[in-house]
Amino acid sequence: MKLRSALAVLSTTALLLAGCAPQDDALLVYSGRSEALIGPLVERFEQESGIDVEVRYAGSAELAGQLLEEGANSPADVFLAQDAGALGAAAKAGLLSTLPDEIYSLVPESYSAADKSWVGVSGRARVLVYDPAEVTVVPETIFDLEDGSWEGRIGIAPTNASFQAFVTAMRVLHGDERTLEWLRAMKINAVIYEKNGAILEAVESGQLAAGLINHYYWYARAKDVGQSEMKSRLAQFVGADAGNLVNVAGVGMLGDSAEAQEFIKYLLSATGQTYFAQETREYPLVGAVSSADELTPLSEVSTPSIDLSDLDTLAETLELIRQAGLI
Amino acid sequence: MPLLEISNVSVSFGDTQVLDGISLELESKQLLAVLGSSGAGKSTLLRLIAGFDAVHEGTVELDGKPLSEEGKTLPPERRSIGIVPQDSALFPHLSVRQNVGFGLTHLPKSERDQRVNDLLGLIRMTEFADRMPEELSGGQVQRVALARALAPKPKLILLDEPFSALDAELRQQLREEVRQVLRAEGATAIMVTHDQEEALSLADKVAVLRDGRIIQVGSPSEIYNSPADLGIATFLGESVLVNGKVSQGKILTDLGSLTPLNQVSDGASGVVAIRSENFYLQPNQSGDSEVVGRVFFGHDALVEVQTPKLRIRARSNGPFAPEVGMKVTVWVRGAVNFYPSS
Amino acid sequence: MQRAPAAAVALGVFAELASLIPIGYLLLRLLDGYESALAELLRPRTLELLLNTVLLTISVSLTAFAIGAVQAWLIVRTNLPFAPLFAVLATLPLAIPSYVLALGYLSVFPWFSGFLAAWFTLSLATAPYVFLALTAALISSNFAAEEVARSLGKSRWQVLVSVTWPQVRPAAFASGLLVALYTLSEFGAIALLRFDTFTRAIYNAYRGSFDRTSAAALALVLVALTLLVIFFERRYRGQRWQAPTSSGRKRRIDLGKGKVVSAIGLAVLGLAGAGVPIASLLGWSLSQQAFDWLRMGELVSSSLLVAAAAGLVIGVFALAISIWNLRFSSKLSSAVDLTAWAAHALPAVVVALALVFFGANLVPAIYQTIWLLLLAYLILFLPNALGLVGTPIAQVPRSIEEVARSQGLSKNRALSKVVLPIAAPGILAGVALAALTVLKELPATLLLRPNNLDTLATELWQETEVLAYSQAAPYALALIIIAGVPALVLNAQARKLISEVS
Repeated sequence: MKLRSALAVLSTTALLLAGCAPQDDALLVYSGRSEALIGPLVERFEQESGIDVEVRYAGSAELAGQLLEEGANSPADVFLAQDAGALGAAAKAGLLSTLPDEIYSLVPESYSAADKSWVGVSGRARVLVYDPAEVTVVPETIFDLEDGSWEGRIGIAPTNASFQAFVTAMRVLHGDERTLEWLRAMKINAVIYEKNGAILEAVESGQLAAGLINHYYWYARAKDVGQSEMKSRLAQFVGADAGNLVNVAGVGMLGDSAEAQEFIKYLLSATGQTYFAQETREYPLVGAVSSADELTPLSEVSTPSIDLSDLDTLAETLELIRQAGLI
Repeated sequence: MPLLEISNVSVSFGDTQVLDGISLELESKQLLAVLGSSGAGKSTLLRLIAGFDAVHEGTVELDGKPLSEEGKTLPPERRSIGIVPQDSALFPHLSVRQNVGFGLTHLPKSERDQRVNDLLGLIRMTEFADRMPEELSGGQVQRVALARALAPKPKLILLDEPFSALDAELRQQLREEVRQVLRAEGATAIMVTHDQEEALSLADKVAVLRDGRIIQVGSPSEIYNSPADLGIATFLGESVLVNGKVSQGKILTDLGSLTPLNQVSDGASGVVAIRSENFYLQPNQSGDSEVVGRVFFGHDALVEVQTPKLRIRARSNGPFAPEVGMKVTVWVRGAVNFYPSS
Repeated sequence: MQRAPAAAVALGVFAELASLIPIGYLLLRLLDGYESALAELLRPRTLELLLNTVLLTISVSLTAFAIGAVQAWLIVRTNLPFAPLFAVLATLPLAIPSYVLALGYLSVFPWFSGFLAAWFTLSLATAPYVFLALTAALISSNFAAEEVARSLGKSRWQVLVSVTWPQVRPAAFASGLLVALYTLSEFGAIALLRFDTFTRAIYNAYRGSFDRTSAAALALVLVALTLLVIFFERRYRGQRWQAPTSSGRKRRIDLGKGKVVSAIGLAVLGLAGAGVPIASLLGWSLSQQAFDWLRMGELVSSSLLVAAAAGLVIGVFALAISIWNLRFSSKLSSAVDLTAWAAHALPAVVVALALVFFGANLVPAIYQTIWLLLLAYLILFLPNALGLVGTPIAQVPRSIEEVARSQGLSKNRALSKVVLPIAAPGILAGVALAALTVLKELPATLLLRPNNLDTLATELWQETEVLAYSQAAPYALALIIIAGVPALVLNAQARKLISEVS
């Protein structure tokens, strides 16, 4: 009977695929950062430590969602996320264990969770990317973008975690009312994009005059097509402007295993930090390691101090962004 | 003036010549049967008349007006020619009533209903008016298809092997009905078929089509009794072929000296076709022929007889058919057709 | 009514329960806090997005129908030159994930965005569903009846409306349903094209605020929309007419001078639906410097394995349910049919998260294994296969089965020896379509796959996330080439049937 033969073929295929069963003794990392980036680092860790690592790659937000659904039954040991919001969500659900002091103290407090549920691994600065042919006078402050002359020429990605963190910073520095004003001006002036990368592409192709993105996108593209081929330039605002916020990619631990701690320590080690500095031109956060040459040193970047993972604050930020009609 | 005039029509598909120099005439209210085996080009002829295929040479005129000529073809919907296809092709989503009334949508409702009811009565399907095609039997479906074609009172109606899908008994029954319906409507019709019984029994005029050419046109009896060539002779009815030579106005054969029906030239040799029913088997104890086989059909029988020179099959009246083993003398009744070999 | 074979019922019930998992999950979430969910629903922005979704769905459905219908009619019914080639072109967009299609256009036309772009892209991406369904329907419809209708005085257009349309209507509505549901749940392409629909609201809720309650509420609205569309489709689809066994040769309509225009039109459509995206991907691929063939090989084989397994599973279920529903129809079987469809309109991320919850907490043994992933595919794509498998089974005349029974075969053997071989092309098509859709799938695969399993689609996503278009392009091309195989199988079924027309 056809049904039976189909089932037979099915079981055979299943057996073939069964080789993909998760290994119980390996360290399971949920990584919101891409395999292209993390993969080599993980391999090095495996060689140097002798610990087997299995990585699950997906979007940070999706992985946070997955962790929330899995709840206490999650098989994950480590959560490496692209932004603080995702880590904060996991922390709020009580899934992340408190990190031991020896790990927590490696990173400046402003780049980690106040409750020690996660630490920052690398920094990403908010920047203005602009087309020099279109923009002759670079705006000095983020509020310059409210001007009518920017209508249809500036790009933002309101659904992006980094943007939301930056708006949170603006609220901390200038209050909710002023922030809402700025957001409403953006509703008029800005072109909405899904991703920072798309904004960069738009500036490069002449669709936009400028955009608000994270710094390392520019360097990633420069690596891909060659720095001399880049049309756009980066700029930072003057002073401790909200627009200069430094975000972090961070890591947290689920459960409490020695292997997990070792992995996290590795990310924060000289090897790990240099890796991030060189590979993506992000800012290393552990003091001794210096960032790549062409970057403005982190110490010189004026950044407002806010608790990046305070989710309640994030919810209020989202509410403001929605009020302005951007989401 | 004939209603339908087809003059010297030729049609080819690619390299194949399907119809070659066809000429036909049909008078009003006549039923013409186009007889031929599969592949002879019968369907193409119908499609041409209906307007679905174009003509490459020649003309088709209906009621004096040209329908098809080379380069110009009047579309089917303007020809007023009805068709009954081989598988009836009733509209599956419409009831019997709606099927029959399909071509009458331009009429006011009362007229349309009247006409549909008349036709339903004619084909004796009044109780089935609201049934759907999938609920009907083979014979019923064909009747509805016929009524549907006749409803808008077309000038001409074409039937494509209308009974081929039915069993023998049904076929017989339906033939009669169809003939009656066509007569009642005063319709002019062309029917194509490969069944000679059908052609001979139903039609006023028969045209034999072979390999895209019309070989002979005539009344059923003409065709049957005087087939133009051996091919037709053997195609229609059962014949026995015997070699013969003409001598002094008679044909000398192994069955004796026979009278020719057609014109013959002295000294010519050829083949004689004798219809099975034209043999008379005379029981004769001292006859030179012996019955060696017999197939009994009830009303008649096919008797196999071994004469001194050859074996023949003769049709004989049922009750009086000679038995196997009987001695008979074989006589040929009437005149026979002679086909000289060239 | 006779009793259905036990296997069919078992599979059907299993599929129904599986389809209920996401809906159950949503209701569970909703119970957590329905007030905030309600507030979320009533925000003006939400209503605006809902309107966008409805607008897009209606326009894409109509346009996809128009495109598919014109293509099917020209290729099946007329003497269009190069018909087999155009048939392939018409089917090809199936092999291209809609986000790749969008990407292909974006990389050539950076200004390509908004409602018109979304309408354009999704119509091209979904037209093949209509094309394939209508091709099959046109072939099995009664062509001789169309000629009779003309002889009865109807013009070509009147024949189309009063004779052809009623016969292809069920297929048109069924494929229209697939198109509508696809548009309702689509996210990747319209996110790229920056047109916000209702799925945007759901994604925002999940990603932005991690508010699963609001997200659940929104997802349930989508389910409601689906049920509405399904109800509409069932009501107006018309009856399936038993295809009569037509004998004799079927002919093609002569286009005459219209040949050139038609050919050009179809060529333009083919270019738009497949030519432009493939060309742009080729361009990106060629600008690649180094290339990892080993990785490509790994990804290709895992994609193929997963797709084949999923295709088989879904095919078996579709077969069982179709037989059950069409031959032994009961209230239960109709319910199964309905729930399978309702789950279909959910954005894949919702189904995936539901299964994450279900898997991690209730059946951890299968969590993050291939089995849970296959279950997700079953829930997501069963309806695609159901449509294609159901129609040929419906069309096998019951009388043939009855003949087989009268010759001593039990009802199961009658089915397997008689109905299945006749319906085999349709079944194969259903499996091909399921495999194809699985090859392209992304969100559910990302969330539910075993940890060390990657497919071409997930790899592609990884690259586009970091905007490495030139690295993504070869994988996208590989995906299209491989997806081309089941797409061509589907097309071959159509072509086999087409060749029986002339």
